[in-house]
Amino acid sequence: MKKALVSALLILTAIPLLLAVGQLPPHGSAKSPAYEHVSAYYLEYGAEEAGAENIVTDVILNYRGFDTNGEVTVIFTALAAVMGVLLLGRESRHPVEQPTYPPSIVVRFIVRLLAPFIAMFAIYVILNGHVSPGGGFQGGTILGALAIALTLVLGENEARRLIPEGARPWLQAAAPLTFVGIGLAGLTDVGVYLGFPTVETLTWVRTMWLLMLEIGIGLGGAVIISSIFWTMEGER
Amino acid sequence: MINALWNNLDYAASIVLFLIGLYAVIAKDNLIKKFMGLNIMETAIFAFIVALGVVDGGDAPIMGEGARAPFTNPIPQALILTGIVVAVSTTALALSLVIRIHKQCGTIEADELRELE
Repeated sequence: MKKALVSALLILTAIPLLLAVGQLPPHGSAKSPAYEHVSAYYLEYGAEEAGAENIVTDVILNYRGFDTNGEVTVIFTALAAVMGVLLLGRESRHPVEQPTYPPSIVVRFIVRLLAPFIAMFAIYVILNGHVSPGGGFQGGTILGALAIALTLVLGENEARRLIPEGARPWLQAAAPLTFVGIGLAGLTDVGVYLGFPTVETLTWVRTMWLLMLEIGIGLGGAVIISSIFWTMEGER
Repeated sequence: MINALWNNLDYAASIVLFLIGLYAVIAKDNLIKKFMGLNIMETAIFAFIVALGVVDGGDAPIMGEGARAPFTNPIPQALILTGIVVAVSTTALALSLVIRIHKQCGTIEADELRELE
């Protein structure tokens, strides 16, 4: 009975979706409406106007900066909510001294060996987001994954030393704070919140601001991801 | 109809992926499997919207030396970057709620939770 209901629902959902897909312009056509209006403008003028050669970076940090400002606030709020759900009503926090099942010497050696390279790659991805694929979110995720790998292999105390206790709340809020900072700089300089200077000769200022945003997003994202993991892991 | 679907195979594939996720959300009882289904649905949407921006023979939309037209559409990619971060946030919150439910009720099977009331 339940199976019949579920398959009926799935088929009822599939039919209109497939019908609609049949009506879309063919895949990969350069004449599709999505390609002809705003994106043509961005592709033509984005690199000079917004300050980064990577147009995706221009779109998320400059043209749609407001959107990204909200987005980093969302991920910060997610961290706050996770901490609220898990830490409320917990008596005291005992960081896990050792991983429950100590990993083999091979795993420890490989993770220790790879850690500096992973960190270097993450920083490369963050700092080259404006000229190559990558950026704050991607590099921040790699850094966060590094912190999680270290936690799983070396234990939480060892991994927590990466981020000093006193600086942690500030780093967790790094991405929204950077956005507010750049936004206020734009407000005083151009008169618009998150506005970028439009003068032709000031391309380097635009690039600097984009870089600062990338670094803020990268650090903040990494610390938020590892903090979420640590909060969940303390729960056993 | 079939011909149009064949031309838009990428879109049809993401719809199949979406339906797999929907099946997991409504048919599975384990809460973690439900959220995995939700993530599969999100992935299907991301794949669909990124596929909308693909242009035949298009390069990555990165200007500078050696860049040559046509470029893929940068806007869907930027939108999906936003979407992925929001998906991560919702997944983190959902999993922490599952941890809390497991602690409070001792189970994360939806049918057993319904009997507990």
